[in-house]
Amino acid sequence: MDLNDAVLDHLRHVAALPDVTGTRYELESEIGRGGMGVVYAARDRQLDRRVALKILDSALAGEAQLIAHLEHPAIVPIYETGRLPDGRAFYAMKLVAGARLDHYLDGAPSLGERLRVIRRIGEALAFAHARGVIHRDLKPQNVMVGEFGEVYVMDWGVEAVAGTPAFRAPDARLNQRSDVYALGALLQCMFPGTAPPALCAIADKAMQADPAARYPDAPAFLADIERFQEGLAVEAWSEPLWHRLRRFASRNAVLLWLLAAYAGVKFLVFFLRTP
Amino acid sequence: MGGPHGQFPSTQLSLLEAASSGATLPNEALERVSALYWKPVYRFIRVKFRKNNEDAKDLTQSFFAAALQRDLFARFDPAKASFRTYLRMAVERFAANQHAAANRQKRGGGIEFEPVEEPAVTAESPEQVFEREWQRQLFALALDDLHAYCEGFGKQLQFEIFEAYDLAGGDRPSYAGLAARHGVAETSVTNYLAWARRMLRQFVTERLRGVTAGERDLRGEMRRLWT
Repeated sequence: MDLNDAVLDHLRHVAALPDVTGTRYELESEIGRGGMGVVYAARDRQLDRRVALKILDSALAGEAQLIAHLEHPAIVPIYETGRLPDGRAFYAMKLVAGARLDHYLDGAPSLGERLRVIRRIGEALAFAHARGVIHRDLKPQNVMVGEFGEVYVMDWGVEAVAGTPAFRAPDARLNQRSDVYALGALLQCMFPGTAPPALCAIADKAMQADPAARYPDAPAFLADIERFQEGLAVEAWSEPLWHRLRRFASRNAVLLWLLAAYAGVKFLVFFLRTP
Repeated sequence: MGGPHGQFPSTQLSLLEAASSGATLPNEALERVSALYWKPVYRFIRVKFRKNNEDAKDLTQSFFAAALQRDLFARFDPAKASFRTYLRMAVERFAANQHAAANRQKRGGGIEFEPVEEPAVTAESPEQVFEREWQRQLFALALDDLHAYCEGFGKQLQFEIFEAYDLAGGDRPSYAGLAARHGVAETSVTNYLAWARRMLRQFVTERLRGVTAGERDLRGEMRRLWT
């Protein structure tokens, strides 16, 4: 059978479209492609709401079950899992209105806002790790920031995911510390210009080639971020003396101002009393 | 090949499984490989080495013969590349050697005038041509499978509607027009089309399964195909 280019392209298109007959969903448009499948915006006819429908390769049906067990505010919730008539597995999830992290960063959010986002991501990872699930492919494209600032980590990986080079740890076998590496890479990419040295040190520690030299887990990473936000010394960085003094001054500014005022008053009183 | 929809028995061994089952590939596996790759190899040789029709055919034939003699398919390592990439590179090496040998012979012998044939002019690179022909041949074989299946299982009407709509070279008929022409409801037309496309996808998958190295390689090729 001879096929011209136009017919071939049409066949590739129609054969790729998921067959949703017999399901409660109507496809609207393709909204993304990941390593494991394609995500469509769809309408749930029964509940009359829009959802994101991820169509997976048939062999990866386990991904949906895996994620369905993760109920966390920063993990996109799964509504339903199933199998299409053509054999492919799918799952329906919340359709997040917002921006992907890489696009969100284009809006130059404040330091505090960026740290809030990275902490939410870290919390989601810590939660998943505690349940034995690792992400495997954490990167800005897999994080959504919603209209109201909510953060969702998506595309939780399965065995077949190899990771994205810039965010993938050089580990032979991916584990929790590989996710910590990706978290560090994410922190680094969230501050593309000049970042505070303590944050650079946190990212560097998380991204050590030797897994044993990284933070042991996401909570340890988060604890260092928290220390930075509170103006305390971070574990990842042995800061120079002048920096320590500056940090001390910054943390105790009110006390230092009071002491200075007291010293000033004493000084004035001393000279006024002198005949 | 095939079965009731959604229940395709995986009758085709993957290429890797076939290769690992013995020193040489079974004939069935080899037939699947040459059925899918003969035309892409031929087109690749034509464009890459600017061969005329007959020379390209001869080279293609020689390549498959040499590949069998030298156990080329059994030496395929799925950890290094997809089978498609491996085969294209093998063709490139083989044809380059043959091309160089032919040129040496010409330089050493008398002057020979070859009939000039229309060169294979294309804006695409030889690699793109190879990829495109691979897709074309894959779908052509899957369509043959679908046609045979429809003939065998009394689904001629479904195939006719599918052929009239999805294989239309020019303007596609409307669903209503197709329904009127075949005396069925318009909803039946959409159902028949959905069924035929689903079956086509499964036949494509089966064809791919026969020439890929396991599930992971298959998924990679599927992704390339649908993207």
